[in-house]
Amino acid sequence: MQDYTKTAPKSRPLVSSARLKKGFWLTTMMLPVTIWLLLIRYLPMFGIMMSFLNYRLPSRKIPFPRNLLHSEWVGLKNFSFLFSADSLVMIRNTLGYNVLWIFLGLIISVTFAIMMSELTRKFVAKTYQTMMFFPYFLSWVVVAYFLFAFLDPTNGMITQAQRRAGGEVIDWYNSPGYWPFILTLCSMWKNTGYSTVLYLSAITGIDRSQYEAAAVDGATKWQQMIHVTLPHLRPMIIILLIMNVGKIFNADFGLFWSVPMNSSALYPVTQVVDTYVYRAYTTTGNVGMSTAAGFLQNLVGFICIMAANTIVRKVDADSALF
Amino acid sequence: MKKFLSLLLAAMMLLAAIPAMADSPVEITILLEGNNVTDDAAVLEQLNAYLAEKIGVTVKPVWGTWSNFNDLALNAVNSGSDEYDIMFTCSWTSNEYAPYAQKGAFVRLDDPDDNLLAEYGKELAEALPAILLEGAVTDGIDGEGIYAVPGFKDFAQMNTWDVNVTLLEKYGYTLEDVEKAGFYGWGDIFATVKAGEEAETGETFYPFIFEGAVAERNVNLTPAVAGDGNSVLSYYMNAEDAAQPGPNGNAFVSKYSTPEFEKYAKQMHEYYLAGYIDPAIAIGETATDAWRNAQNTARYLISTEVSLYGYEVTTSAQRGIQVAYIMSTDSPYIDNTSVQGAMMAISANSAHPVEAMKFLNILNTDAYVMTLMNYGIEGVHYTLNDNGEVVFNADARATYSPWTNGLGNVTILPPQEGQGADFQERFAAFYAGAKKLPIYGFTFDKSSLDTEFATIVNIKDQYALRLFTGAADVDTELPELIQKLNDAGIQKIVDEANAQLEAFLAD
Amino acid sequence: MTVKANTRTVKGNHSFRLNQISRRTEALFHVILGLFALACIIPFLFVIIISFSSEDSIRTIGYSFTPTAWSLSAYEQVFKMGDQLWRSYFNSFLITIVGTVLSVAMCVLYAYPLYRKDYKLRGFFSFLNFFTMIFGGGLIPTYIICRNLLGLSNNYAALIVPLLVNPFNIIVMRTFFQTSVPFDLVEAATIDGSGEYNTLLRIILPIVKPGIATIALLTSLAFWNEWFLCLLYVTDRSLYPLQYLLMEMQRNAEFLARNSSMLGAVGAEAAKTLPTQTMRMAVVVFIVLPIACAYPFFQRYVIAGLTIGSVKG
Repeated sequence: MQDYTKTAPKSRPLVSSARLKKGFWLTTMMLPVTIWLLLIRYLPMFGIMMSFLNYRLPSRKIPFPRNLLHSEWVGLKNFSFLFSADSLVMIRNTLGYNVLWIFLGLIISVTFAIMMSELTRKFVAKTYQTMMFFPYFLSWVVVAYFLFAFLDPTNGMITQAQRRAGGEVIDWYNSPGYWPFILTLCSMWKNTGYSTVLYLSAITGIDRSQYEAAAVDGATKWQQMIHVTLPHLRPMIIILLIMNVGKIFNADFGLFWSVPMNSSALYPVTQVVDTYVYRAYTTTGNVGMSTAAGFLQNLVGFICIMAANTIVRKVDADSALF
Repeated sequence: MKKFLSLLLAAMMLLAAIPAMADSPVEITILLEGNNVTDDAAVLEQLNAYLAEKIGVTVKPVWGTWSNFNDLALNAVNSGSDEYDIMFTCSWTSNEYAPYAQKGAFVRLDDPDDNLLAEYGKELAEALPAILLEGAVTDGIDGEGIYAVPGFKDFAQMNTWDVNVTLLEKYGYTLEDVEKAGFYGWGDIFATVKAGEEAETGETFYPFIFEGAVAERNVNLTPAVAGDGNSVLSYYMNAEDAAQPGPNGNAFVSKYSTPEFEKYAKQMHEYYLAGYIDPAIAIGETATDAWRNAQNTARYLISTEVSLYGYEVTTSAQRGIQVAYIMSTDSPYIDNTSVQGAMMAISANSAHPVEAMKFLNILNTDAYVMTLMNYGIEGVHYTLNDNGEVVFNADARATYSPWTNGLGNVTILPPQEGQGADFQERFAAFYAGAKKLPIYGFTFDKSSLDTEFATIVNIKDQYALRLFTGAADVDTELPELIQKLNDAGIQKIVDEANAQLEAFLAD
Repeated sequence: MTVKANTRTVKGNHSFRLNQISRRTEALFHVILGLFALACIIPFLFVIIISFSSEDSIRTIGYSFTPTAWSLSAYEQVFKMGDQLWRSYFNSFLITIVGTVLSVAMCVLYAYPLYRKDYKLRGFFSFLNFFTMIFGGGLIPTYIICRNLLGLSNNYAALIVPLLVNPFNIIVMRTFFQTSVPFDLVEAATIDGSGEYNTLLRIILPIVKPGIATIALLTSLAFWNEWFLCLLYVTDRSLYPLQYLLMEMQRNAEFLARNSSMLGAVGAEAAKTLPTQTMRMAVVVFIVLPIACAYPFFQRYVIAGLTIGSVKG
């Protein structure tokens, strides 16, 4: 395969009829996913309408979808619960954690991936990778129990140890101060393995001859990383960054709900948009309000992604999403 | 978009046009709550043979569990699917009876134009106490009326203190001491028992482990307000006679800003600081586990229970101690949340409302149907002993145990082992003596205030449990909470609730 | 970053450690990666230990790496589920295998043209895919379409179809094509008269094997861990996947806890029939084990590039 690459001739203009034919066959490849997207993703988008309605339930007399026409138009009323004086905290938390974790996650997993690719004992590298991927299998509920096994106010391993040592016993679930740190730790612990695998498989895709060429030219390992590895990782890094920027107003519900054991004393540091909306939804059962919240999250994400993509396109058109 | 809508419309009309076979029995699908049923084939075979002959109906139960019922119901109602003809509903989960009746999810059963209840449910209407049907009346989409059949079960509230009498007597106290001292005077008893137990076992012992919301209800006599599932509002009951207006008259107040609440929270905090209360009950996810675990292992002195008739016999046997329940009110009281605790509604999307009503009628009045559906087949799932009491066959019961209270009229069931042949008479007599709250029948309709409510619930969730269980520093956190609630417009909610209550009482 | 060059070995072309990091740096890497890897695996060992701990031990000393007494009762309880357990195991495997094969095939087919610089509609299809990552109709409208229009209710399709496409995986796959397949290769194949499908299957796919393995791993994980679809579309117990059994236990417990002030004694009685904490941990072990066994198999491909690199060095 490698040899084939090397002997491949430089690109040449192709005849236009061949181009059309080629386009046709490529388009047929798109069909399965396109049909799926249209049916399962695009069709339900009529639901965005519900953000602006006082949704009337369908019945035999007024079945779906006619009930939508009979629902009262309430404008932006469904959105207003997201903008009370109290909601500032959850907006701050959502954005704050996301920004911090995007950069921390990027740095840690790219570093780990590069470190892993440099290990000479491949079997050991493989073992590390297998182990690091493990937390990704576990649900947040299970993670919450792990953490609780350590921090439980009566039986937890850490609290027991503190009690035995005679020192101050920290009431973890009532001390908000520790939690930004704990949550960050949990998030990194669970997701690093996953993104490391992504980056590592991108690194393994890099043609080794490029490193050899660089080494022959006298490039140090560090220089090789800067000039060979990182440029190859760039498309992946940019894509993941743009994706994450798009989710900047969304939070991992399981992490913020289960891991702090829904302890109310911790809300100042654990309340995020998704938990706020969930609490509102379970008490009011108002479909319009939860749809509105989802729509707003999408809108913010969309604007952020478009902005990020525009910037990327200006700098490096090839790496842009579209 | 438009094209799709019309397409869908056409498809639905087509489906509706397919005529039902006239001769074969109509199949009714019921969505139920809280079951543990994995094998219903034998029961359904018997049941459907009987039902087909009697009323020309067969049933297909969907045995919802605690874990999936709410989602199934919510999706069915919101999507207008016709998959369920009958749905369980109640006033205490997120699938609330009154809001759904109001939004049009259920058929009005006593609709003057099409009175299903009068026409196909005569026996049912006679079998239920009038007070139950009265409590089922709600302001729904087709006017004020009955939108679901209430279950005839333990329909009065008994909020109690659960006392470990065995442990109490070990330290020379009696039940009367606890009763006489009252919540504000338990400090000495806690101190003695805590010190004694810790000296004996060398482990930390918390004498006071309870459920926060119920403890507050017990002390301040503030029953849950229907429609306010989140305890933002308080109605203060009359301590001497639950049927009379309370100290504030028939009015609601904001729960956290009363002097009574502050006094309660301060006392709790004192107990908490003294180490009488397990910190685990102040954390949302661990509270119930910690508290139930303490009860089941008898490692508590005083706890709380929303109890029911004859329950101390059961728990005493299970825990191996003597358990006593001290009622916080003079008698059990009837409020909407208990009457609407388990109901069955006919879906507004059902294609067979008449057959559904016929089935509800026979289910609630025919002991054979109710017993078969609830307990299974005699000789397979259970046997009757000499007293006519039901003795379960554990193996068969493991694959077929529906939630009894979720199925309707439990008073036509045979008694279970140990309850005594006359259990149902005593049970009915006990609840017949319950008193109606003056605000009975009122359900707060918060739909016009969803926005304020969403904010306020998020605020109060941050403080409520910690205040209820004494973990919060009352001097700093309570004023903070009150301030935030005021800023978020709690007064609007209180005023609206009072205006609605006034209109209700004037009727 | 403490990566230091080992320029001497690079210059001395015949050295043992050709173009590798120094031994000291590598040792440091081992410490950092090793510690982190260990921290990742310990909780799972902890779950296994808890699942073998006796209830008494948990009541007295809580969760511990060294319980006072061991017990098989959790597993006995799990096996009491009998047919349901094996049935659910089977369902999980079926859904995962069928779902992963279909999903990966669709993903590769969609991602490949997006990589082709010379494909005119690539911008449009990119956006078509990307847009769905951001905007969705929400739960209820999706439910209405899937259930009422597509008939996804109480069948295996309901557990597979809604999860078939992950827009994110498509983008990741496209990026794999970009990073590891030189465009010259495609052009050379075209000039040699190779059809599009032939080029993709014979020439391109072998190169992106690590990428496919990664996507397959992520996809199979998604199918294996899925329970929400089951909650939405399935009430027939014979179709339940294993993950849903665990979630059912968890959610039963949560529901009873949340509503205890309303359910009172009824809830207390219901709670007594719930599976114990150790049993839930045992189910977690059942769920995680197959992935733990299958993962090294995938990893062979994921790491394939690494090995090639070292051989060539």
